[in-house]
Amino acid sequence: MTAPVLPLTPVSPPAGASDFLVLEAISKGFPGVQALDGAGLGVRAGEIHGVVGENGAGKSTLIKVLAGVYRPDAGRILLNGAEIETGSPDAVQAAGVRFIHQELNLVPHFTVAETIFLGQELSGPFGLRTGAMRRAAEAFLKDSLDAAIAGNRLIADLGIAERKLVQIARALIDGKARVVVFDEPTAPLSHTEIEHLFRAIDALARRGIAMIYVSHYLSEITRICHRVSVLRNGRNVGLVDPVGPDDADRLISLMVGRDIGDLYPKRNHAAAAPWLKLTSLSQSPHYADVDLELRRGEIVGLAGLIGSGREELVDTIVGLARPASGSISIDGRPLRSGSTAAAAGRGLAHVPRDRRNDGLVLAMNVADNINLASLEAVSTGGFVRRGAATTRAQQSAEALDIRPKTVSTAARLLSGGNQQKVVLARGLATGASLFVLDEPTIGVDVGAKAEIYALIERLAAEGAAVLVSSSDPAELLGLCDRILVLLRGRIVAEVTPETTDLDRLVALTTGGDAAGGIAA
Amino acid sequence: MSAILAIGRPQLKSAFASVVPLAIFLALLGYFGLRAPGFLEPATLILILKQAIPTAVLGLGLSIVVIAGGDDVVAGGIDLSVPSIAVLSAAIIADQLANHGSAAVTAVALGFAAAIAAGAANALLVTRVGMTPLLATLATSTAYIGLSKVVTANRRIDLSDPLIVTLRDGSILGLPLGLAIATGLAVTAHFAVHRSRWGLRLQAVGGNRDAAEIAGLKVRRFLAQSFLIAGAFGGAASLFVLARGSGSTPGVAETLLMETVLATFLGAAFSPRRVVTVWGAVLGAILVSALSIGFGSVGVDVFWTGCIKGGLILIVVAASALARRSGT
Repeated sequence: MTAPVLPLTPVSPPAGASDFLVLEAISKGFPGVQALDGAGLGVRAGEIHGVVGENGAGKSTLIKVLAGVYRPDAGRILLNGAEIETGSPDAVQAAGVRFIHQELNLVPHFTVAETIFLGQELSGPFGLRTGAMRRAAEAFLKDSLDAAIAGNRLIADLGIAERKLVQIARALIDGKARVVVFDEPTAPLSHTEIEHLFRAIDALARRGIAMIYVSHYLSEITRICHRVSVLRNGRNVGLVDPVGPDDADRLISLMVGRDIGDLYPKRNHAAAAPWLKLTSLSQSPHYADVDLELRRGEIVGLAGLIGSGREELVDTIVGLARPASGSISIDGRPLRSGSTAAAAGRGLAHVPRDRRNDGLVLAMNVADNINLASLEAVSTGGFVRRGAATTRAQQSAEALDIRPKTVSTAARLLSGGNQQKVVLARGLATGASLFVLDEPTIGVDVGAKAEIYALIERLAAEGAAVLVSSSDPAELLGLCDRILVLLRGRIVAEVTPETTDLDRLVALTTGGDAAGGIAA
Repeated sequence: MSAILAIGRPQLKSAFASVVPLAIFLALLGYFGLRAPGFLEPATLILILKQAIPTAVLGLGLSIVVIAGGDDVVAGGIDLSVPSIAVLSAAIIADQLANHGSAAVTAVALGFAAAIAAGAANALLVTRVGMTPLLATLATSTAYIGLSKVVTANRRIDLSDPLIVTLRDGSILGLPLGLAIATGLAVTAHFAVHRSRWGLRLQAVGGNRDAAEIAGLKVRRFLAQSFLIAGAFGGAASLFVLARGSGSTPGVAETLLMETVLATFLGAAFSPRRVVTVWGAVLGAILVSALSIGFGSVGVDVFWTGCIKGGLILIVVAASALARRSGT
C-alpha cells in the first residue's frame, strides 16, 4: 500500500462511442412499491459510470436486475448489442459481467491464492497445483491491480483494502470480465487505501472494461467517474456528462428534488444540563474522537452513510460494543461501557434498527413485549400479576394508539409501524430518561411515520433525552434540534435545521461538501 | 503503552488457545510414561493406534461434515449420528453372519447399504427439509441406535468369522492390517479434502456459504455429499468396531460418539489455520486413545476417566472459542 501516489486524471471517455452495456426501460415493482419505473443505464467500454441516488431511489434494485437476482417486469439488457437473458445470474456471469459486492464474502481461513481461484482451480494429476495458483495469483494482483500481496497469506491476516483487492482479483481472474460493477467499494477504506483502489479501477478502465460505480460518496463519484446517472423514485432524473470535480452540488439537487412537508411536529424544547455526554470516544477503525452532549428535553440526530461509523457509535452508546478509548457519562456519572444491562440500569432505552430480530420477541404477545423490561412493576414476590400486567399494557397501547388494540395479539402479526410503537412503549414503561432510537422509521409507512414522530416529540416534551440515528436526512431535519454529521468515523459538522437545508445536509454526509472532503 | 496492551491481549489469547490443548496432552502422556513404565514401549504404542482405528475412521466422516457445514457447533455442520450408523451397520453384519449364515460379502454389503441409506436420510433432512444438522442427526442417531437394538435384540453377538479375525489380527508388511487399511482411508480422505478441487470447494462452502454461492458452487449438493460420505465412513468403521470388540456389543455408540466429537474438534486445535481438518481428526483420535490406555495403565478409576475426558472437551472447545474471538 505504499506505491507512489500518482496524479489520477480520468481517461477521457471514449466520447461518442456507442454504449457497450445498455439497461433499457427497466421496471420492477414489489408489493406496495414501484422500485424501478422505466429506469435505464448506458455504459461504454472503458468508461467508469457512476450511479447515484438517495436510499430507496432504486440503485440497488437496478444492480440486482442486472445481476439476474431480480427479473424485471419490463425492459431488457443488451451487452455489445446482444440481449442477455434477464433473471438468470448464470447468463449474466457467462456474458462477462462481474460484481464487486459491498460485503467482502471471503473465507477467512483460505489463502489469497485459494480465494482467487475458488471455482476455477488449477488442478493436475496430483491434485491442486498450489504453487502454480500462488504464482498466478501474485502475478495477476501485480499486473492488473498493482498490488503486492503474497499468494500464501491467509485472508484473516489481510487488511480490509487488501481483501477488497483480492475480491476484485477473484472477479477478474478468468480474463472474461467485460463489465465490472462496484457497489460501495470504498465504504470501509481509509484515504490512502481508496487511492490505491482508484488506481486499480483506473487500470481496468484503460484495458477497456466497462464499469458501473455505485456510491454514496459524491466526492469519489465526481473524481473517478466519466459520466453519472442520477436516479430518484425509480426513474432517471439526470445524466451528467462529463462529470467533473465541481458537479457535486448539481448531483445533490438532482438526487434530492423533494419537499419535506408537514410530516414533522413543531418543536419547543427547553435546554437543560447535559444528560448524556460522550468524551473523545474512539473505536478504530469505525469512529474516532467523538464528542457529544445531549440534554433532557432535546432531540439530537446522528447523520451519516453506511460505513460512516454511525451504527458502531450507536452500538457503543447502548452497550453492545466497547469503545477503545474515551468515556460515556449519563447525568454526570460515568457509564460502564460494553454492558446493555448497565446502560438500562441508568435509564437508557434502546430502540434497535432491526426491530423484528432485536427489538421484539415476535412469538410473545403485545402485552408481554411491552412489560418485558419492567416486569418488577407488575410483579409480587417474583410472580407476575397477569391482570395488572394486561391492564398496564392496555393503557400503554391505547395511549400510543397501537393497532390492533387487543394486547393479546402476537407481536409478529403487527405492521412495522405498530411493532415500532410496541418497542417504544416498552421503553416508556421502564420510565427511561434517555432514548437511543436507531433508524426509528425504517420500513414503516408514511402514516405510521407521522405517529412515531409525534411519539418521539412527546418523549422529549416529557423530559427524556432522545438520540436519533437515521440514514434519512429529511427525517433528521424534521425531527431534531441539532444534527451531528459523521463522515468516515469523525464528526465533521454540527448543524441545526434552521440553518441547514436538505441539500447541505446530504452534501455533508456524502463528503460532497468542500469543507468535508473525502477523508476528513 | 496502551496500544501495545491492546494488541498484546488478543495475541496472547490466541497463543494460549493454540498451545494449551497440545500442552495438556503432552503433559499427560509424559505423566503416563513416568508412572507406567511400559507406556512408551512399541507394543503399547501399536495398541494405542489399533484402539484408535474406529474413532479415527468415524472422525474422518465427521470432519468432512464439519468442513462442509462450517464449524459453528450449533448452526454449522455436525453429524452426531456417524457412530450410530457404525453401530447399526455392525449390528446388521453381525446378525447376518451369526444368525442367518450369510456370506461375508453379503453381510458387509447389507451393512454398507444401511450406512449409505442412513447418510442419505441425514442429507435429505438437512438439505431438503431444512433442519439444523445438530437436531436432525440427534434424532436420526436415536433412531439408528434403536434399529440396531431391533436387529440384535440388544444382545451381544460374538463373531469368529475369518473376515473379522483377519481384520483384527492380520498384518501386511509387518504392519497390522487394520492399521494399514485405516491409514489408506485417511490418506484418501486427506487428498480428497485438502488437495483436490472438490475439497477446496467443500472447504469454501463451510468457510463462507455466501462466498461459495457467489463463486457459483452448488452449496446444497456439497452439504448432501458430506452427509453421504459420513455415512460411508460409518459403514467402514463398523468393520473396525466389530474387529475391536470381536463382535457386536450394545451400548458402544455413546463412547464412540464422545470420542469422535472430541477427536475431530481436538484436531482443529492442532491445525495451523485453527480449523477442523482430516489429519487433525486422525491425530485427535490417536491422542484420545492414548489417554484411555494411559489412564488405564496408571490405574485411574474408570468412572473418573469419563469426568476427565469431559473436562478435556470443555478445555478444547473453550480454547477454540477464544481463538475465534481473537481471530476476528
